[in-house]
Amino acid sequence: MIAIETKKLTKKFKDKVAVNEIDLKIKHGELFALLGVNGAGKTTTIKMLSGLILPTSGEIIIENMNMKKEVFKIKEILNVSPQETAIAPNLTVKENLEFMAGVYQIKDKEKKINELVKEFKLEDVLNKRAKTLSGGWQRRVSIAISLINNPKILFLDEPTLGLDVIARKELWKVINSLKGRITIILTTHYMEEAESLSDRIGIMANGSIVEVGTAKELIKKTKAKNFEDAFVSIATGGEL
Amino acid sequence: MRMINFAKRNFKELIRDPLSLIFEIVLPLFLLFIFQQFDIPAENYKLENFTPSIILFGFSFITLFTATLIAKDRTSSFLIRLGTSPMKSSDYILGYILSLLPIVLIQNILFFLTAIMMGLEFSISIIPTILVSMIISIFFISLGILIGSLVSEKGTGGLGSIVVQLVCFTSGMYFPKEVIGGVFEVICKALPFEACLNIIQGTLHNDFSNLTLIHIIVFLIYFIAVILFSIIVFKKRMISDNK
Repeated sequence: MIAIETKKLTKKFKDKVAVNEIDLKIKHGELFALLGVNGAGKTTTIKMLSGLILPTSGEIIIENMNMKKEVFKIKEILNVSPQETAIAPNLTVKENLEFMAGVYQIKDKEKKINELVKEFKLEDVLNKRAKTLSGGWQRRVSIAISLINNPKILFLDEPTLGLDVIARKELWKVINSLKGRITIILTTHYMEEAESLSDRIGIMANGSIVEVGTAKELIKKTKAKNFEDAFVSIATGGEL
Repeated sequence: MRMINFAKRNFKELIRDPLSLIFEIVLPLFLLFIFQQFDIPAENYKLENFTPSIILFGFSFITLFTATLIAKDRTSSFLIRLGTSPMKSSDYILGYILSLLPIVLIQNILFFLTAIMMGLEFSISIIPTILVSMIISIFFISLGILIGSLVSEKGTGGLGSIVVQLVCFTSGMYFPKEVIGGVFEVICKALPFEACLNIIQGTLHNDFSNLTLIHIIVFLIYFIAVILFSIIVFKKRMISDNK
């Protein structure tokens, strides 16, 4: 069963081709990591897949719906945790959850909020204003908020960027617990994060997906010692 | 209703910012109080004229803090998250406008209560004055949406301060434009702030003899243009910020 499919997905900004004819298939419940050096086209791809920007050409099919024709229906079933923590700073954690429940018009919002509070262990920070929380907690709240509408598809853009090792491991635990239930597309610069969390990894370079496979497959293919070396070899076309 | 939900969030963000409350409510109240202590022998400073001026002065800070809220939302990725939600452009624009109207109402009530305590004669025309000023406030809120969509959070301080200064000096709240005359008088006529003040004062006094057809035309042009531009620029920035 395919959750996300792209056909020759392309995005141009004036003369610059940011994403070049990507063909991709991501299965239901899969955690797919999108890796690449800065400017490879990861964020632009995620923005197109989440309906934030329109492709220049090509098609996006999400859960059998075409992005061009049914963008608002698709937006009901996906959610995003952006790279920078995107929460309302002067609202408490509970108010942030209530606000996003209102955005998605969740019917039994109290029940859903209680579920998320329990799952993300937010009891102690529930009545604290978001801006007073540490970076790790803000990121945890940001991911909890992104699950408010029971998304079928979840985009996690650099979810552990700038976090200390303990906060990062805690978030990995949370992300691991979501695997299988939700189709997750993860972007990260941390190789060990991609290797540890993902079912499959797609490596982007110059706007194209140059290789897709499991971490083991990619190591084997490049005859590298570890995944980081495999990534460097693929991303640079074997130059390094 | 998504727009009401968004308006509630914006309202909470604004009233929990102490600076916003100080400039939107406390500072105008202080000015209203302090200028009455000097017994200045000029028509502008009589309570029935100066209270509408203070309402307009408060609106200039509504522009400033609306702009800051929007610029902050844009830079904090908050609007990126909302951009992937089923919210539509109308939900955003009306959500911002609706969140500010209760603050405008609170401003008006507090300004009139203070003015009455200081000697302004209570009149039934205060009610239509509040309603008219709320309509005028939509222009100032839209101006804030426009500024917040155009510049960064740092830039909103500068542009917002220009709006505050323009309101102070070109509306006629401190002195009539004829005192300086010449080009300054032309600028005052070309900007909408004098028209705004004359409309509010006219409604309070139930006397529109100071309101000319030019005032009404200038105000309507700015009112419609700023609302339209704010919608267009906000929608464009929502897309370009996400590139």
